[in-house]
Amino acid sequence: MGADRIDEVRRAFVRDLEAAGTDPDAVERVRVAYAGRRSGQLLELTGALRELPAEARRDYGRALNELKGLVEERLEAAREAAQAARASTGADVLDVTLPGAAVPRGAEHPVHLVRRRIESIFLRMGYSVEDGPEVEDDWHNFEALNIPPDHAARDDQDTFYLPGGYLLRTHTSPVQARVMRRGSPPIRIIVPGRVYRRDSDLRHSPMFHQIEGLVVDEGITFGHLKATLETFLRALFSDRVGVRFRPSYFPFTEPSAEVDITCIFCQGAGCGMCSRSGWIEILGSGMVDPRVFEKVGIDPDRYTGFAFGIGLDRVALLRHGIPDLRLMFTGDPRLARQFA
Amino acid sequence: MRFDLGWLNEQLDGEPEPDLLAERLTACGFNVEVREPVAGTEVWDVDVTTNRPDAMNHRGLAREAAVACGIGLRSHAFEMVEAGDPASTSVAVAVDDPERCSRYVARVVRGVRMVQSPQWLRARLERCGVRPINAVVDATNLVLLELGQPLHAFDLDLLAGRRIIVRRARPGERLVTLDGVERTLTDDMLVIADGERAVGLAGVMGGANTEISERTVDVVLESAHFEASGVRRTARALGMHTEASHRFERGADPEMAAWACDAAAALIARLTGARVAPERIDVHPRPRAAAQIELSVPALGRFAGLDYEPAEVAWILDGLGFAPDAAGDRITCTVPSWRVDVERTADLYEEVIRHVGYDAVPAVLPVLPTPPGERCGGWGLVDRARDAAVCVGLVEVVTYAFIDEASDALVTGSAMEPGDPLPLVNPLARTQSTMRRSLLPGLLGGVREALNQGESGVAVFEEGRIFWQRDDRPGEAERLAIALAGVHGSWQRVEPVGFASLKGVVEAVCGGIPMPLAEWRRGGGPWLEPGQGAEILSADGRVVGIAGRLADGLQQLWGLRQPVWVAELDLRAAAQPGVTSYQPLPRFPAVSADVTVEHDRALAFSELERTAREAAAELVERLELTARFEGEGLPAGRVRTTLRIVYRHPDRSLTQDEVNTMQAALRQQLAERLGVDFA
Repeated sequence: MGADRIDEVRRAFVRDLEAAGTDPDAVERVRVAYAGRRSGQLLELTGALRELPAEARRDYGRALNELKGLVEERLEAAREAAQAARASTGADVLDVTLPGAAVPRGAEHPVHLVRRRIESIFLRMGYSVEDGPEVEDDWHNFEALNIPPDHAARDDQDTFYLPGGYLLRTHTSPVQARVMRRGSPPIRIIVPGRVYRRDSDLRHSPMFHQIEGLVVDEGITFGHLKATLETFLRALFSDRVGVRFRPSYFPFTEPSAEVDITCIFCQGAGCGMCSRSGWIEILGSGMVDPRVFEKVGIDPDRYTGFAFGIGLDRVALLRHGIPDLRLMFTGDPRLARQFA
Repeated sequence: MRFDLGWLNEQLDGEPEPDLLAERLTACGFNVEVREPVAGTEVWDVDVTTNRPDAMNHRGLAREAAVACGIGLRSHAFEMVEAGDPASTSVAVAVDDPERCSRYVARVVRGVRMVQSPQWLRARLERCGVRPINAVVDATNLVLLELGQPLHAFDLDLLAGRRIIVRRARPGERLVTLDGVERTLTDDMLVIADGERAVGLAGVMGGANTEISERTVDVVLESAHFEASGVRRTARALGMHTEASHRFERGADPEMAAWACDAAAALIARLTGARVAPERIDVHPRPRAAAQIELSVPALGRFAGLDYEPAEVAWILDGLGFAPDAAGDRITCTVPSWRVDVERTADLYEEVIRHVGYDAVPAVLPVLPTPPGERCGGWGLVDRARDAAVCVGLVEVVTYAFIDEASDALVTGSAMEPGDPLPLVNPLARTQSTMRRSLLPGLLGGVREALNQGESGVAVFEEGRIFWQRDDRPGEAERLAIALAGVHGSWQRVEPVGFASLKGVVEAVCGGIPMPLAEWRRGGGPWLEPGQGAEILSADGRVVGIAGRLADGLQQLWGLRQPVWVAELDLRAAAQPGVTSYQPLPRFPAVSADVTVEHDRALAFSELERTAREAAAELVERLELTARFEGEGLPAGRVRTTLRIVYRHPDRSLTQDEVNTMQAALRQQLAERLGVDFA
């Protein structure tokens, strides 16, 4: 036993490893034979160290360590070569371009996507989200909002009637009346919901969705209305969107304002989507008419407020480029799936 | 409304650039929606809101334009020569209902020739969308478009007794209006009558019996003021809408009646060579006093969020006709007769804010106490349901809340029937005639569409309200409906959907809401195929949902070529989501053991499971169904079910011997209590 034995094992190892080639099992057998923890030849050579005379141990030990290093290195290289060979030819190679096993993905309807986006903007501004019935009475839908019976303003909101004098709400505004009647200022709410008007064409659906907003407190000004809606519209569309307030008329607000944004398709240059005007009408708003405050029992001399309403479906159409409002309510799931 | 730009400019002292004029009108509340160039001028389509009948004519819009552009308004003038006997020798006017007719002005014009109007007049009418007829009628229409006063011309010779009486119609009284339609009237309708019969529907349309014709020689011109809501009720009851009713419904200017009548008479005389009889007949039973309103400029500033100059405020109000009388920063205004919309200070604020400009008001966010916003009412619930459904792979659809009666009737008699049908009084279409009492009909339409378009698998839901009435009171509640059809899975493993898929989806959705379900039992009512559906019960024994295969007949009715699995849930049974308390994680491993039993098909799994649970030892952590088999090798009507029992001891590892003992005991119990065999 001695350095010769070490040389012999080295040669045998090199030969055997070469013979094993890139067969991973053969490489593993070589590893067990030489570097195995229980019966490998290196173990045997290490055991022999103790039997050598003290003066021979140093050289032997050095030679043995060299061999151990070589075995480790060569085995590692052989294993890598075997792995590489397997990866390029083996039967268990994956075709990673095959589709994955589909996990079903649900999708929310675009109108609800938009609703929740808008809700989250206002929730962050400290508004609460309110709710109310879709079947309303005349008082809440019209009279409380300063639209008396036989008034021409009713023409703007053609109404579906139900037996017993009930009706389908034509806007989410009756919830304003309900909230103001039941609570007291300061009030800061939004009311999303489904509304109905007796009208059906490319731009009108007999059923659609709105979000209503209401702020009532002492000292609320028209400037507050402007800033709130500008902030909201920029959060909803883009920081760069232009906002324009135009005087208009709603029976429950005075003064009233239609709010336009610069056309999101042409950035205000004028295109087919905005009838060449560069503006898209997006919101109705105004300062709460003192008559509405009187109807719901809020002191109009002490409080002022503003209200606004936005068509959710219209925002969804604009955001996603959906050409026809009626596509929203056919029940075809392929619509929502596009926005999953 | 359509405006002739040249005509509009004629009213103004100065001719503003058309672009500027359009911009300024839009900025003060009259949105110029369309500008159409025509020979030498432009026709504008301007959105005049319903509260501004005074601007539904060229003169009225020009008043706004003048203030908006900072220029003057020309005074309106015409020349009139009167000749012959006084008008009262030809016709007598009486107003029986001063509530509904506060003023009736009439002029008599004698010796008209029925000629065509000159080109300039015809062109103006046409640009405004009014068809020229003859000089007399055209003159009344021109005055309407210029001054906003609706006028009517009667053939004097056809007025029986040469009298005009403004009275209520007699119930059932008939009148053929100018459009040739015979109308049956009610006593809420106001008519113009002669000595014998109705000759016009007040404020809406004249009668054919006294119409101007080729033979007309003498004309009576009517220029009246009718009360708004009465005209509106009449027009609506008869399904009519005219230029006259449009204006009266919104509120006409009672002071304009006299001026406009004179203007029209003078124009007819000029166009046809007729003579205007001296004397304007003016029955004015209810003259209205002009209201005075005080405005404080600082209060206006606080309301708007901008400090206004009192002089500018006064200038605007003066231009709009409010005759402002300023004393320091307080201004007293007299409301002009044409401004029916202005009654109080807030109305004056609007005038100033819109004319100074919305742009001038600085945008400042309000400073308010800011408690965190909350989602109130049902929104939290319905969005939890929506999220739960999306989470298990369902795609949302939204359909109309009104459906056809036959589809709605399908819910009748089922445990899910909420109440009686709630039909619409005035539906748009027969297919949308009643409020839905179930979401399923709407959902199926979408499923059919998707399947017909070649979708291999459909998994959809709708969240929305259903409606009903009970004891003449309407009700509404949130529901969630689900439909599955075709196949699910992926290319590795594709399976047709079945009851298990549906139940799994329903349970997952209900778990997410949360909506605790206590029991599934066979049933489901008319929507589901018998033996293929279930009613789902809540803990208090109410049916809160159904789930199963759509009945064959309905599958055919909806034109669905393959089975559809549907479920509908009453979201009123949902619970409030609570806060879950932590349970210590087990420290010792579980041991599972299977037991396979053979039994009659009639033995419900729920019973097998319940019995096994009762019989099982304390250390059973859970029971799982792992296999169910029937068919080859088993007698008909027999089923083999494999349950996996998972045992776990909280404080130590279980030995196989212990598990074997517990399994043996379980087998014995199952055999004794259910008479099952063991495979």
